[in-house]
Amino acid sequence: MEVQKEAQRIMTLSVWKMYHSRMQRGGLRLHRSLQLSLVMRSARELYLAAKVEALELEAPSPPAPCPQDPRLHQAREAEVPAACPPPDGEPPEPMDAQEAAEEAAAPPRAAELPARCSLRPARVGRKRRSSSNPSDGVDAGLAPSKKARLEEQEASAEPPGRLPPASAPAEGAFPNLARVLQRSFSGLLSRGPAAAPTAPPARDATPACRAADPVLRVLVRTVVAF
Amino acid sequence: QTLDKKAVTSLILKEIHFPKPKAPTDIISTVEFNHTGELLATGDKGGRVVIFQREQESKNQVHRRGEYNVYSTFQSHEPEFDYLKSLEIEEKINKIRWLPQQNAAYFLLSTNDKTVKLWKVSERDKRPEGYNLKDEEGRLRDPATITTLRVPVLRPMDLMVEATPRRVFANAHTYHINSISVNSDYETYMSADDLRINLWNFEITNQSFNIVDIKPANMEELTEVITAAEFHPHHCNTFVYSSSKGTIRLCDMRASALCDRHTKFFEEPEDPSNRSFFSEIISSISDVKFSHSGRYIMTRDYLTVKVWDLNMENRPIETYQVHDYLRSKLCSLYENDCIFDKFECVWNGSDSVIMTGSYNNFFRMFDRNTKRDVTLEASRENSKPRAILKPRKVCVGGKRRKDEISVDSLDFSKKILHTAWHPSENIIAVAATNNLYIFQDKVN
Repeated sequence: MEVQKEAQRIMTLSVWKMYHSRMQRGGLRLHRSLQLSLVMRSARELYLAAKVEALELEAPSPPAPCPQDPRLHQAREAEVPAACPPPDGEPPEPMDAQEAAEEAAAPPRAAELPARCSLRPARVGRKRRSSSNPSDGVDAGLAPSKKARLEEQEASAEPPGRLPPASAPAEGAFPNLARVLQRSFSGLLSRGPAAAPTAPPARDATPACRAADPVLRVLVRTVVAF
Repeated sequence: QTLDKKAVTSLILKEIHFPKPKAPTDIISTVEFNHTGELLATGDKGGRVVIFQREQESKNQVHRRGEYNVYSTFQSHEPEFDYLKSLEIEEKINKIRWLPQQNAAYFLLSTNDKTVKLWKVSERDKRPEGYNLKDEEGRLRDPATITTLRVPVLRPMDLMVEATPRRVFANAHTYHINSISVNSDYETYMSADDLRINLWNFEITNQSFNIVDIKPANMEELTEVITAAEFHPHHCNTFVYSSSKGTIRLCDMRASALCDRHTKFFEEPEDPSNRSFFSEIISSISDVKFSHSGRYIMTRDYLTVKVWDLNMENRPIETYQVHDYLRSKLCSLYENDCIFDKFECVWNGSDSVIMTGSYNNFFRMFDRNTKRDVTLEASRENSKPRAILKPRKVCVGGKRRKDEISVDSLDFSKKILHTAWHPSENIIAVAATNNLYIFQDKVN
């Protein structure tokens, strides 16, 4: 999937930049490291959202008769389904809306799980699994591969002065990514508090998810070491 | 000092460029006029400071109105090595700030990533001659041969400008210093790094006071860093600092010893329609400057310049788009690292015009009263000395007119990060990589 590939590419690029910044005179710069980690985090979230969406497209009709399924099934492009009622009635923040969107998009894989209709705990379990299960290939995709790094080195050998030639008019090198990103983000935020059911377990699950993420852990360790 | 059409077209070029061949260490990293505008200091990546002095206007040569010539050059900082962290400390001069002149000598602060130095720049145009115990070459004389005594006299000599380091303020910053600012009491100054701000007394080098500390207990929770800081021009208890999240905090040192709790907090709510993948990076403020009046602050982030009224915290009073056509190119600019460029911004003497740099050696001026803006270029190819600067225009789409330049043709390796404006006249200094351009109003 295109968005996935672009997000992965940005992630790889960011890791390369982080590595390269260590070699610079003056050592790691805290501000730069922070900015790179922010981009990496956004790319990771986008990658996961796109991955989940891709999986959902592959399995279009979940066989279960759970009443909430049709609403979840309607989740597209990480947009939160407005019809899904907040389980606890709390108004969520936009940031959590995105995480909830990931969860909402994740349910197609609920077919594998027995406890599907009790949505909240199952969601939590699924979210953990989707972000930390190595057998997914998710982490393999996020971890920088040697090949990707070599590609980046070749890419950086181009003359620095000019922008890469635009493949679409007046859009830059990643026209589709730019469009998709714009759509995804504005879709998320335009839904706003009305949409997402932000279950407290999701919030509680988040730190655990973050800790399980090897890439972010590396980043955090880098910043801490500095 | 309004930016009407006539004033803009009257800007002429008086160019100065370093005669050495292009070396990475010649890149100018800071530019600053002193308080009278008589002196202009530049710092470069090689740790050198070059000071230019304005010629006295002479009645004989009215058309050569006060040009700037090299006055003094000295090596301010050398590369150092931190053995504990196995890190090299760059000698690049991050900032220069002048002290107001209090006697015949000039004083300035210059800083690299870790150490601030106070330099005294003074003139020597007389030399003592006629010593008794030494001969003219300085060799000691045998006292037995001295039969008469004479009083040494001062004789004129060729003007020599010497720079001596008077104070070295070291070992106070764990992170990289990004700003220094002289207090209006002229006795103290502050230095800011990514997480902390320290207050110094000019006379005391072995201790400083920490007045801001935003380092979290757990570095994993780090979300923002300090990007710039400045003292209020008149109130010696007030200062501001900007953050990588696009916020500005105003602090009052009378409130407490540690100013972790701000007095005012300036933040503009994010426009959701502008939100993108790189929103967080481009909202980082790269420079903050008080107006000369002290009523406003100006901030520069990647795409805009904003003017804030100190009395209104919830949004800026003015926002100027510097190069909004780059908004759709952010991904490419991330690839070539340009998105991390830190542009500075300056006020003119009357606070009516603001100026900042861009790419392709363009720099922009915005007149706050007439709302006019202009894009100018600092380039040798397009300007000869005494030529009038021609306004430039970037074509953002559709048909490109004859003199316009398209966004894809912009040279992103030519960036103007540092500019300075004379405190009272229409003279500006623009640093374009390793060249310094000085523009003045044309004399009719």
